[in-house]
Amino acid sequence: MPRSTTMRRWAATGVAFVYCLWSAIAARGYAFNQIVPDLRQPSMLTGGSACPIPSHQLSNPGAVAVRWSTALRSSPQTVLTADQTSTGRLNEIEQVIQQSLGIWTHVDGTSLTPASLGSLTRVTSATACGTDGVNSICFDQPDMAFTPGVLAFTRVITADAIGEQVGSSTASSEVGQILDADIYFNPSDSNITFSTPSALSANPKSYDLESVLTHELGHFLGFSHSAVWGSMMFPFAPASGTFAGVRPTLQQQDAPLSDDDRTGLRNLYSDPLDTTYIGSIQGRVLPANPLSLPTSAPWVTGIFGAHVVAVDVATGSVIAGALGGWSCQAPGPVQFDGNYLIAHLPVGKSYAVYAEPLDGAVAPSEVSNALVTVCRNATTDPGWPPAQGCVVPPVNTQFTTRVRPED
Amino acid sequence: MSYVQRRRFLWTLFLIGLVLIAIVANATTLIRLPFYKLVQSSSAIARVRCVKAATRLEYGEVWTDTVFEVVQHDKGFLPSVIVVRTPGGRFQHIRSHVDGVPEFRPGEEVFLFLTGQPGTQFKIVGWTQGTFRIHTSQRSGRETVTQDSADIPVYDPNQNKFTKTGVKDLRIDIFLEKMNKEIARQAL
Repeated sequence: MPRSTTMRRWAATGVAFVYCLWSAIAARGYAFNQIVPDLRQPSMLTGGSACPIPSHQLSNPGAVAVRWSTALRSSPQTVLTADQTSTGRLNEIEQVIQQSLGIWTHVDGTSLTPASLGSLTRVTSATACGTDGVNSICFDQPDMAFTPGVLAFTRVITADAIGEQVGSSTASSEVGQILDADIYFNPSDSNITFSTPSALSANPKSYDLESVLTHELGHFLGFSHSAVWGSMMFPFAPASGTFAGVRPTLQQQDAPLSDDDRTGLRNLYSDPLDTTYIGSIQGRVLPANPLSLPTSAPWVTGIFGAHVVAVDVATGSVIAGALGGWSCQAPGPVQFDGNYLIAHLPVGKSYAVYAEPLDGAVAPSEVSNALVTVCRNATTDPGWPPAQGCVVPPVNTQFTTRVRPED
Repeated sequence: MSYVQRRRFLWTLFLIGLVLIAIVANATTLIRLPFYKLVQSSSAIARVRCVKAATRLEYGEVWTDTVFEVVQHDKGFLPSVIVVRTPGGRFQHIRSHVDGVPEFRPGEEVFLFLTGQPGTQFKIVGWTQGTFRIHTSQRSGRETVTQDSADIPVYDPNQNKFTKTGVKDLRIDIFLEKMNKEIARQAL
């Protein structure tokens, strides 16, 4: 385990202070959508802490119910299937939805299992998506949010206190519970079509429905974007007609996911009985010279927004990444101390850890939801208790790191 | 490197970027828009300064309306103060969010590529793609422009590799020259 004294000797532009905690700490991933409980409510409804909590679905049996709208644009068709009969089209699309859901529910070491899925139902209304407390997938619902160039998006509504409700949802029993998540596919752009895997080869200018849906279901489950290239939650997929991913198989239904996605899912939906994925790597990313920290944010004592990545030494594979820069102990608020935590790693392996600024494959704007939501204060929320308020500083992209093996 | 050489170099980089943008690459939620399409799809382009933001519930959804002062018009007619609407925001005890939607801090200046009509809320074309943030160097005072989606990797199937592209840290005068040329070209 690295010693902090070793690290202090380092006079470089950046130093990663790493030590391993082989413990079962439940952690927040670097790319989850987070919510700070509303401390203006009684503490019995919020837990009384200003520490952010990841948005999540309940994972108890039958909790994740989804309906999908069978209203499909016909002229021109926006969802293309191999089977052209009306019943066959619907069955083929539904199979893709089930397959995409199955991808996320077959990751070992999580509490999100096939049993967590409730019914997948059909609804004929084209406007099934909305703040109604029912998770929905819509292929033919125009929405004011669409602008030129927007292909699909997921709108996720999260409760910041117990007992909250939207539409017909049940009242939230946990802070951070997702009350409604709707996936919208753009129906209005004549240049955009989506193809089921069976129909993709015959429609090379079409987008792969399964990939887009699987990514959107990641948001549906609480993920933000990941900065790890190759992960399902990486913000950008290949162009239409250039599908190069992996399809789920009966032997490995979660095959399209990367290790980063799986580790994220284990963080979001940890299995209390799991004994394999219980390793954690925790540390701080600090500048060698504290004077290099931004003077405009004197409350910042470490590098904020560094992308910290754990690599399996044996295989060279990226196992997980985290957006570092903060920590939080109840009752909060968040401290911007350069802290990071990568949890739920498989034990018995060796990892190399590196930190990099978010100025590469992914810009801060692409993961902003995971960064800007860790604070609330009296400006954003009138009446907020001052002692538990904080302000998110700008992401620090002006640093470089040097890596040196432990002495 | 002389000023002329540097300028030529930056122009070359910029044009290569635009060519690469045009090849392929699409977001999971966004379709990659070449620069000319961004201009074409925009009813207005302006340099604006963020004043404040507020969330509201309308049409059964939560929206964030961000108020901007218009600092400089580049395309279309805009009043001196505009409201830009994006999906998501915090409303009462719920938070609605959509990944890929830009967020703004009061005081920051950006170029926005907008659709909409005066008197209504505007929308940002392609979300992060139509958002170009202005950075001012503390040392030199020089302004540069970076597109929110600048670091999107572009897949080139001919070379079978990804390349980063987009407008990043481009000097503002070069950016303006390019943009104004494109606007003028499309006005013909």
